[in-house]
Amino acid sequence: MAALASLWNGRLYGLEIIRFLETQSQLSLAEGTVYPVLNRLKSEGLLDSEWVEAEAGHPRKYYSLTEVGRSRLRHMAEAWASFSSGLSRLLEPVLQHSAEERATAGVSELKEEKIPQ
Amino acid sequence: MNSEMQNDKYLTVLRSHLGTLTAAEREEIVREIAAHIRDSAGEPGASVESVLLRLGPAEDLAAQYRDGLLMRRASRSVSPLLLLRAALRLATKSVSGIFVFFCSVFGYAFGAGFVFIALAKSIVPAHAGAWVQDGRLVAMGAFEYGIPPSAHEILGVWIIPLGLIAGSLTLVLTTFLIRNSLKLSQRLQERL
Repeated sequence: MAALASLWNGRLYGLEIIRFLETQSQLSLAEGTVYPVLNRLKSEGLLDSEWVEAEAGHPRKYYSLTEVGRSRLRHMAEAWASFSSGLSRLLEPVLQHSAEERATAGVSELKEEKIPQ
Repeated sequence: MNSEMQNDKYLTVLRSHLGTLTAAEREEIVREIAAHIRDSAGEPGASVESVLLRLGPAEDLAAQYRDGLLMRRASRSVSPLLLLRAALRLATKSVSGIFVFFCSVFGYAFGAGFVFIALAKSIVPAHAGAWVQDGRLVAMGAFEYGIPPSAHEILGVWIIPLGLIAGSLTLVLTTFLIRNSLKLSQRLQERL
């Protein structure tokens, strides 16, 4: 899904996809896994690829989303968003509780510091 | 070893481990990885050595491509051999994969067993079937000897259609189980 999402705004080549995922999210993938995944997505018809002669002197393989890939990504994004919002609701009390704990811990630390004075 | 030799060696190993793919696919992959190494090693602070390290061993990289192909082929296939191979690959990756593999081995064995009994009954009726003694199943299959004399046969010739139905159902179910597990595992990977 992340690899598909990185292509939402246009075509990229493998290394750009890896760098994009690294900078846009904390997803640092083992580089070796990205290329086989791209290969699979292409054979499933979600991606298209073309070799483009670059100024670097050698051609690069650019990937882009197909129509099928685009609609699949849309579905996946919707499913993911509803899943993660449900999970966030579930975790809200936990986060709130630990924030309160930290606040009270901070207060008691302050008190302890005052005692010796 | 200088960086050019390292590069060449990596690509040679990669190519030689991509044997199950077509020649065209193989060359395309090697070309793409070669471009990656060139681009990546050209970045500031990078070297061919560090790039190859990040890519991981060429054998592993090739194995990922081969697995992808195997899974794709198997999830559309009905061949027990292909499906079992794919299930075995799944078993090397996760605990649920091991479970799926064992289920498929049992599924195929039982399915084939039922069909075998049905066929044996129609060829050598006296030696094949299911026998019970004291309410327990003591023998089922095709035997030369070894059936307890006090046991009596159940089902008779009905074991032929029943065996065929049970056998083929088990085989079909096993095929579905493996194919769906493969699809599910690909779905999970898709989060990437």
